[in-house]
Amino acid sequence: MTRPASRRRRRAAAVAVVAAVLLAGCGGGGGDSGDGAAGSDDAPAPTSSGSAAPGVTAESSDGTPEGTGDGDEPVRVEIPAIGVDEAPIDLGTAANGELEVPEDPDRVGWFTGGGRPGGRGPTVVVGHLDAVDGPAVFADLPDLVAGDEVVVTTADGTAVRYVVDRTEDVPQDEFPTTAVFGATPDDQLRLITCTGPYDRAIGRYTENRVVYASPA
Amino acid sequence: MSTTRPVLRLTALAGAAALTLAATAAPASAETEVPEPDSFTSAFTVMATPDTIINPDGEAVPGEEGATGTFTFRVNSDEEIICYDITLQGVTGEYESPAKTATHIHAAPAGQGGPPRIAFPNPEGDDSSRTSSGCLQGPFTTGVEADGADTGDGFTLADLEADPASFSADTHTAEFVAGAVRGQLTEIPVGGVDTGAGGLATTTEAAGTGATAAALTGVALLTVVGAAGAVALRRKA
Repeated sequence: MTRPASRRRRRAAAVAVVAAVLLAGCGGGGGDSGDGAAGSDDAPAPTSSGSAAPGVTAESSDGTPEGTGDGDEPVRVEIPAIGVDEAPIDLGTAANGELEVPEDPDRVGWFTGGGRPGGRGPTVVVGHLDAVDGPAVFADLPDLVAGDEVVVTTADGTAVRYVVDRTEDVPQDEFPTTAVFGATPDDQLRLITCTGPYDRAIGRYTENRVVYASPA
Repeated sequence: MSTTRPVLRLTALAGAAALTLAATAAPASAETEVPEPDSFTSAFTVMATPDTIINPDGEAVPGEEGATGTFTFRVNSDEEIICYDITLQGVTGEYESPAKTATHIHAAPAGQGGPPRIAFPNPEGDDSSRTSSGCLQGPFTTGVEADGADTGDGFTLADLEADPASFSADTHTAEFVAGAVRGQLTEIPVGGVDTGAGGLATTTEAAGTGATAAALTGVALLTVVGAAGAVALRRKA
């Protein structure tokens, strides 16, 4: 991958491992895991599982709840307009500071250090636009428009209905961190995938599509 | 930044000349307002509420009922820059703090008090919503002294990155001197989200036929080098 490892600030022991995994990760990864649907009852790892397993990103060591609010973990994400019905995997923060992404292009993931459905703060769900050889789970996410419905079911069985407020394309190197991941007093949902030109030199898309949704 | 002015008014002699104020209230080592850097090494967010306030005696006391605060920080610890986006809702009345502003990051784990390390310009607005955004470059000073030194002395943003949960953010008002709202820092991602491998991208640069493969490889290599350089410039510039 392209981000210089010298920028990494901590978890030094894990940096080498993570860097290696990232090389095989989202930018060029997924080529041999396009049939991942078969393993959907497993717990597939995010691309940089060597560093940021769920719980690493927030202060879980003393039992303090992670994230910025209450609510419960999402176990199912349904987006009828684009035919998505998935069980999200856990994602943390990679050693380079970026959000981890699912290793399997057919899976979606959610950021465990953020909000949870039914509580305060944004629940952030991400999925790949494509694999090296074709479409991935969020290939049609750019088709979502304001008014479309997303239903997120939590571990306690609650189905939280969200409605898309707006969508936005943002440059990946000027990502709106505060708007997407920043704490909010109310329940919010963000869906993210890639869009824009694909930079083959760095092996990644140059923009993100961000879908902002709030409870119906 | 204009938001430092109220503090100057609070702490300096009323009616003194502006030049005198600037000379006495701005130590050379104080943080400076700077433009946003091109990249960040980390980011943190805070959901601040009134039920988390700890007074100087270490006791839990109520903050302002119904008020909330959201603090999102983007950090470049290489350049010692912290960018802040702060929104307060339902925080009323005048700010009040012995520090040079009333909006802080404290070295204070959940349930404990602790000294301020960074003083941010107070959010401006009305009693329903107040906001503050910008970037500060350290070294940081707070205007509060402990053991003969400013409580910002020795603090670096690397400390914050090393253990964000041991830091809190809050704002103090005349009615809620111990804090109107407060919350702990939690890490959030920085940068874009790498969710694609190019399988749906345009295929115009796909591998050519045998006759041109060698030439294409050369071009591709040059392209890679050039593009990588451009990316490096973009990220570092």
